[in-house]
Amino acid sequence: MKTFEEKWTAWVDGELSGRELSEFEASLPDKAAAEAEKAGALKLGELLKRELSARTMTSEEFFSHQLRESVARLHETPGRKAPETRSAWWTIPRLLWTGAASLAVFLVFTVVVMREKNPAEESQYLTQILNARVDPVVSPNASVSIFEVKQDRVTVLWTEGLQSLPADYAAK
Amino acid sequence: MVRLPAFLVCFAVLTMGATSVLNGAETVWSGLVIAENVPQPQLIPPELTRIEGSLKKFFGYNQFQVIGQSQKILKTGQEDWLATSKFFALHVDARGETEAGYVLNLKLYKEEELLLETDTMLSKRSPLVIKGPQVGGGQLLLVLVVQ
Repeated sequence: MKTFEEKWTAWVDGELSGRELSEFEASLPDKAAAEAEKAGALKLGELLKRELSARTMTSEEFFSHQLRESVARLHETPGRKAPETRSAWWTIPRLLWTGAASLAVFLVFTVVVMREKNPAEESQYLTQILNARVDPVVSPNASVSIFEVKQDRVTVLWTEGLQSLPADYAAK
Repeated sequence: MVRLPAFLVCFAVLTMGATSVLNGAETVWSGLVIAENVPQPQLIPPELTRIEGSLKKFFGYNQFQVIGQSQKILKTGQEDWLATSKFFALHVDARGETEAGYVLNLKLYKEEELLLETDTMLSKRSPLVIKGPQVGGGQLLLVLVVQ
């Protein structure tokens, strides 16, 4: 024989049916109030379900978070070694090699710069024509030009329009 | 570490060597040269051997004959001298010496007539060639070389 509380719980849960349901509902002193209470209980149940499922989700998230942290910790171990490795990269031999490499680069650039500079310096040692003039009365159409023959480092003062002379003038 | 002193020693030696060369007397060869094209060219004079290629290439002649020359030893860098042929005279007036060479005033005369005048800085490593007037089928060249 079920007690009223047991029947009430079964009614709220929707587990009563047939004659048992009609007898219970007939026994209720205020069916409208009972229905309201049932609806409230159902709402509460749904709320609890939601909350419980939310708590479950939180736990899952928490668990997965824990897992992620563990994985991260596992990965962190070589990661922490990396900075040590980085700091250990500047060992004395490596510093020496770096210094030697820098010196080599510097020398290469120096050689390049010196090679570019050399032609200008060489030009100082080529013979230079400071000025040249021809007698405008004797050779009115004469002109002068200056050439440098790099091959033999020869400087040439080239005149044009000087008065031509007969072959006799080639005598020693 | 060892290279730096070695470099400094080399630098000092080379500097001293260059200074001694600068202070030493040098000979300037100046010549009046007739360049011609002939069927059987004669050997080039020894003074012009080092610039033979440039002379032939630049002026287009195959024979170079010296018609007048002078060798002057420069001690003070203030000397002057004359290279002469029968009709031409090259007057060279040295007006000082610098690290780069000698400052020279050159005057080419045809008999008493001044044809050409130039001031030049004659380098000790760089000969000077001046194209003079055409003479017959050839060309008069003036050549100055520090020997």
